[in-house]
Amino acid sequence: MSDIFPKWTNSLPLKVGIGAALLGTFALGAVGYYFTPKYTRVGYKPTQPVAFSHDIHANQLQIDCRYCHNNVDKSWFSNVPAANTCMNCHSIVLKESPKLELVRQSYTTSKPIEWVQIHKVPDYVYFNHSVHVSRGISCVECHGQINHMDEVYHAKPLSMSFCLDCHRNPEQALRDPKDVYNLDLKVDSEKQLKSGLKLAHDWKVNASQNCSACHR
Amino acid sequence: MKTIPPQCPEPEVGPKYWRSLDQVAETPEFREWAEKEFPAGASEMTDPVTRRNFVKLMSASFLLAGFGLSGCRRPVEKIVPFGRQPENYIHGKPVYYATSMPTKGGAVPLLVRSHDGRPTKAEGNSGHPDSNGSTDVYAQASLLNLYDPDRSMRSWKREGSGASAVTAGAVSDALAGISREAAANGGAGLALLLERSSSPSRARLLAELKKKFPSAGVHVYEPVDPYVHVEGATSAFGKPVAPYFKLSEAKAIASFDADFLGAEENSCVNIRGFAKGRKVDKSTDVMNRLYVVEGAMSVTGTNADHRLRLAPSRIVGALARLGSEVAKLTGSSDVFSTLVSSFPGSNKVGEGTADEWIAKCAADLVANKGQSLVLAGYQQPVVAHVIASAINVALGNVGKTVVYLPAPAAEGSIGGLVTKLNAGGVSSLVILGGNPAYNAPVDLDFAAAAKKAGNVVRLGYYEDETTAIATWHLNQAHFLESWGDARTSDGTLVPVQPLIEPLFNGLTELEVIARVGGFTSVRAYDVVRETFSQQLGSIAQLDADEAWKQFLHDGHLAKSAASPVSVSLASGLALSHTASAAPSKDKLEVVFARDYSLDDGRYNNNGWLQEMPDPVSKVVWENVIAVSATTAKDLGLEITKLTSQRIRNADSLGKALKSNESLVGNDEVTIKVNGREVTGPVWIQPGLADNVVVVALGYGREMTGRVGRKSGFNAYKIRTSSAPYIASGASLTRTGTMLALATTQEHGSMEGRPIIREATLENWKTKADFATNMDLEAHFPGVIDTYEVKTTGRVEHRPKGIYEHPYETYGTNVNGGLGPRADRRQILKSEVHQWGMVIDLNSCVGCSACVVACQSENNVPIVGKDQVLKGREMHWLRIDRYYAGSVEDPQVASQPMMCQHCENAPCESVCPVNATVHDEEGLNVMAYNRCIGTRYCSNNCPYKVRRFNFFDYNKRENDYAEVKTTKRGSTSWVTTDASLYKGVTGVDKNSSAEWEIIKLGKNPNVSVRMRGVMEKCTFCVQRIEEAKINQKVKAGPSSDVRVPEGTFTTACAQACPAEAIEFGNLLDPNSRVAKLRASQRNYEVLGFLENRPRVTYLARIRNPNPKMPDAYELAFTMKEYQEAGKGNPLESHDHGGHDHAGHGSETHGAAGKKGAH
Repeated sequence: MSDIFPKWTNSLPLKVGIGAALLGTFALGAVGYYFTPKYTRVGYKPTQPVAFSHDIHANQLQIDCRYCHNNVDKSWFSNVPAANTCMNCHSIVLKESPKLELVRQSYTTSKPIEWVQIHKVPDYVYFNHSVHVSRGISCVECHGQINHMDEVYHAKPLSMSFCLDCHRNPEQALRDPKDVYNLDLKVDSEKQLKSGLKLAHDWKVNASQNCSACHR
Repeated sequence: MKTIPPQCPEPEVGPKYWRSLDQVAETPEFREWAEKEFPAGASEMTDPVTRRNFVKLMSASFLLAGFGLSGCRRPVEKIVPFGRQPENYIHGKPVYYATSMPTKGGAVPLLVRSHDGRPTKAEGNSGHPDSNGSTDVYAQASLLNLYDPDRSMRSWKREGSGASAVTAGAVSDALAGISREAAANGGAGLALLLERSSSPSRARLLAELKKKFPSAGVHVYEPVDPYVHVEGATSAFGKPVAPYFKLSEAKAIASFDADFLGAEENSCVNIRGFAKGRKVDKSTDVMNRLYVVEGAMSVTGTNADHRLRLAPSRIVGALARLGSEVAKLTGSSDVFSTLVSSFPGSNKVGEGTADEWIAKCAADLVANKGQSLVLAGYQQPVVAHVIASAINVALGNVGKTVVYLPAPAAEGSIGGLVTKLNAGGVSSLVILGGNPAYNAPVDLDFAAAAKKAGNVVRLGYYEDETTAIATWHLNQAHFLESWGDARTSDGTLVPVQPLIEPLFNGLTELEVIARVGGFTSVRAYDVVRETFSQQLGSIAQLDADEAWKQFLHDGHLAKSAASPVSVSLASGLALSHTASAAPSKDKLEVVFARDYSLDDGRYNNNGWLQEMPDPVSKVVWENVIAVSATTAKDLGLEITKLTSQRIRNADSLGKALKSNESLVGNDEVTIKVNGREVTGPVWIQPGLADNVVVVALGYGREMTGRVGRKSGFNAYKIRTSSAPYIASGASLTRTGTMLALATTQEHGSMEGRPIIREATLENWKTKADFATNMDLEAHFPGVIDTYEVKTTGRVEHRPKGIYEHPYETYGTNVNGGLGPRADRRQILKSEVHQWGMVIDLNSCVGCSACVVACQSENNVPIVGKDQVLKGREMHWLRIDRYYAGSVEDPQVASQPMMCQHCENAPCESVCPVNATVHDEEGLNVMAYNRCIGTRYCSNNCPYKVRRFNFFDYNKRENDYAEVKTTKRGSTSWVTTDASLYKGVTGVDKNSSAEWEIIKLGKNPNVSVRMRGVMEKCTFCVQRIEEAKINQKVKAGPSSDVRVPEGTFTTACAQACPAEAIEFGNLLDPNSRVAKLRASQRNYEVLGFLENRPRVTYLARIRNPNPKMPDAYELAFTMKEYQEAGKGNPLESHDHGGHDHAGHGSETHGAAGKKGAH
């Protein structure tokens, strides 16, 4: 039979086996990394029709989040402001700026500006903004340091495990309601844990991990 | 110690609570239904696409999916904020507006939820003094009509043989033309045909129009007309008055063919009043008593304490007899005796006892003088209403249980209009709403007469039969798109307020009348405002604008209810009635009834209503020719031969249908009456009077939308103006064909266990805990292993379940009382909310408003007749109707059945993918994304409440009522060629233009489910979560997170006019639901399985009069329970000292038969 199969074929099954195992491990690792929101979503930074800078408005000018996103503490959604909110200031400041042409158009014609949605949960997830911000969860937990972003990008994965991490241990994120919109607040983790546990107890925080909390 | 699982009691030989005739007959078909949830073939692919083709197609699509990797990056979506934000608008927050749905005699006050500008749910307005938030099925389903893609979307003018669309300007020009013409000749050639309405604005406009055009004719036509109540009262009292019944005040109610809980006008208010009198906390409470004399089996009849079957034509005689008896007992003058003598032998069913029945009923009414009520129904002639009014006067009920309110004067009739049309006296006929070409009495031949008018202008919501005779068709606006007003039956003024701009530029009735009248203000809003100012003048002295705002906010004008007028019987009351001969099997009596689903046909294209099982027969998607079992036997449809009703000897539906395929066929019969005939499927209805044929109106439409197409037969074809409700001398002949009838009657049967528990008021007095003293629960401990648990101070013995309880794990020393482990409980169970529901079977009348409300709230799809035939209806909430007693004269009980949210849920332990799990607040939740469709959960559910999406009901086209025969292998199979079956190759509705309309009506807070997913009642989890979130937002940095009682409720509980459903937090000691759960009548369905359902029921109490000839000591269901040898629920079962040695491993049924109790 050695005429048909040369000697080097003796180790072939082993090599193929090892190769397949390596490939499998690699594939598994690749799926785990590339197919999860950590890779697919984080860093998503589309070009917006208007070059709005959160850094200028929220950080340098220190405008409160709720000046524009005024329904964040009332509704499921944190609303993207209508053009008239922009024009409150921009009818005086940078009146003629070509960058704001679309905003002025939208204001006069009532034709909406088509912003590209960045943060999005699937349709079968019912996420409510108001309950989070009213009960001491800051914007920064899900949106990152959005106040320093010149262009907004997807900072956190917003995957189901991301939600559950916090729902399992809400004390890591709970803060005094007056600091919810202070995205620069720095607390060391030990202190945070201590105060978080106290707040969770005092407010009867029960971050539900049941299916019904988000899916219905 | 080994846990011995509780075993289901063996079904007894012979049914106890039977739900259909097939069950009584113990047919193999029924056995199959009972044993399988879905009948044969239900899970097989039945379309011509073979599996091989399917695989081919699928591999091709996988290949295509490989290119481009389009699925890897989610699609770009845009956020489009306003240019200028409207005031008070918060994206994502629903807004509620008060409006009302106009009905024939009044209106149903509503609060309608609007999500981002689109109405998504109609609910009752609890602020209204009369309705208090009650609704009926029509109000609940009205929303679907708004988003009906088959509704008329444009106005057009007929030109030659075609039609061309016209602009709004052309329409107003045409109407102005009619107005000018009328102005020239005083309206001589003008005639208006309207529907009944309570709108003060319409009344005002019509009065002004008549003043302006004195010769114009104003005619009103309703195929099912509640106005007979007014006519009766008016002739009784000699002035125009309308009766208003206060059922909550009545202790003894006698209904003579009056289906006041169902088909009568204003039924939701009646149900609320009636249910108030049925709500009893303890056995010593006073409960009302209902006597019903009727020919059909109505919803009211199913709730009767005493029921007398009588052909409807004999009911005038029975009423007169009652009048005579009352006169005798009260000493008032007997004006009825001459009438009585004209009805010799009025009752075929036990001639002797019928008279006694009426006499004893009269005695009870007299005993409750001032607290009794006698009603006559809309099918009865005016004289019946006169007699009823006179009896109420004699009983001193006027001003107490019935008050009389001023009534509008009568308008012209359709008969008068047709005479005028035929004489050529009408040049312009304006038809506002209605569908007279379809539903006018057939002898009038309205369509032919209308053609004699030169110009027929028609305002219609659909392009229907009447559109076919119109020269101008104007498309009508939905009431949720219209400004208008109405009066509820108590006279309170309510607004009709639009929630959305007319989707298709529809016009309202008020606008058309104003334009025809040539008035200055033609906008409906202006007309209504003007009327409101006039109404206000007499009531409030507020600032008019503020009052208007308040009016729109409240949804009614406070203190605007009509004040009762004092009445006395007109002198020389002339009572005469020509009695026709009693019906016989050769001369049957045909009764035309308002349909519980479609009304008079106006909801024909409403899928929710088409698929709502009839409250009594449980038939869907069509009407039937109902006869009693005795009559069926006389006509050769013997009840023992019911098995032969299967499609066996049939021609068109296939001789080859395999005998084990469980499609039940019904004989097709032809009704002939006075030379006219109509053909439809026969239905043997228990409880019907003999020799009476009941047919529902509203089906068999020739021109309707896709949903209503081919549903049922048209009973209007045999309905004449001389016999609008009761036609005698009919004959019934078999055509030889069998038809498949879709009914939900046998679906999900529970095999005769004591599911509904009933007792008489007397029984309850002798045995307070009768409700829990039935079935295996009565024999704890001893039958199966138990453990002790301490709840609110008392020690309870609970049986060990076969599944591990999610909240309580059993201690090692079972009988030593170790009970649940505290730590585990802490983790699994919320200490803030534990949701529960209690359903009072004593209040539930079976009206089905909850079924439609649930469908609307939870985006439950309609599946069509073909799918219902296969047991695939999707209703999360169904109403089970059980009969007990004889087939001829049964007692009936209804039970709403939905997911029981078992704490110890059998469905959860069998799900291989954890798709159905418990949440910490006691809900059994479904994660649709996890579900892979094994249906194990459904198989293991003892209540059969889980529904499976066999197809993409939301996505694929459906043939609705149409059922065809196709060849499947060597056998015929009843099916449709609907897109449903075509799977991925079928038409995707979501990509069609009409999907844009359909999707507007969906509730955005509930996922729309796709094929292959199990679903079921969620306790309206979206409402729970919303309420919790609102409470937490309100609480902010505090611990006040418990949702207060009364903040919200489920859709079914909100819709229930009887307030039979209570939902709330069991941990709140003040909650209604917690209190009701502590009631003596509280029991769990199949409680012995130790599922611990979160839905419990309050046992039904019947209130028989012991003096009646048909008095009964035990409710029929309880009697049958006892006769089955299951023990006597009215006797104590000695738990402690009783020897239970023999019980251990035996089933309960066997133990019972041995006489161990």
